[in-house]
Amino acid sequence: MKYVCLVYLVEKEMEAMSESEADACTDESLAYDDALRRTGQLIMAHALAPVEMATTVRVRKGKLSATDGPFAETTEQLGGFLLIEARDLNEAIQAASRIPLARRGSIEVRPIKELKPSARRVR
Amino acid sequence: MKFVFLIYHDEKTLDALPGKEMQALVDGALDYDQEIRRSGHYIVSNALQRARTARTVRVRGGKATTTDGPFAETKEQLGGFFLVEAKDMDEACALAARFPPARLGIVEVRPVRELEHS
Repeated sequence: MKYVCLVYLVEKEMEAMSESEADACTDESLAYDDALRRTGQLIMAHALAPVEMATTVRVRKGKLSATDGPFAETTEQLGGFLLIEARDLNEAIQAASRIPLARRGSIEVRPIKELKPSARRVR
Repeated sequence: MKFVFLIYHDEKTLDALPGKEMQALVDGALDYDQEIRRSGHYIVSNALQRARTARTVRVRGGKATTTDGPFAETKEQLGGFFLVEAKDMDEACALAARFPPARLGIVEVRPVRELEHS
């Protein structure tokens, strides 16, 4: 089964790190990605740009509105995600608890939903 | 450049949709997948199961704690995401606006940050 691990962090804390601390943090995260890749559990992992770089898009009555900034102003922000393959939720939680940033932030683990097309789309 | 689309919606609104309307929304989303695959923008997309199926994991002092439910209890919840390739933020936002469920929910568009070893 596929699970997404959503990494939430306090961006301000991350930005306050010294350069060597930030480098160590990045190296550790990349090393864990590699470890998961070797065991065949990693599908992909990506860090996100800070929320101030986000644009929020809505379409209402055919009209597009785009506003600067993230959808929700929260104390912790989504900073990245890992898409993993795990036997079950327990295995996914085990993998999530070894994400280095789990020591600084919170990791939300959620199963992926396979969307099924209706009969008209099945060919 | 790579961008993520974070799709937020009110799960209650979706749960209240008649089955046919919900399926039309799913078909619309799958058609959109195909369309942006053909245009070369698509990298990956995934729908997520309901927020109540989530567990949140934290490690403090070497000890992992797990709590039921999503990290944040909000009116709108993350329901899925896309990873796309686009020229710039404007192109990414124009692409996001064509995602059919954007008519019901909200799409946050955010650039991906490439991590490099020190």
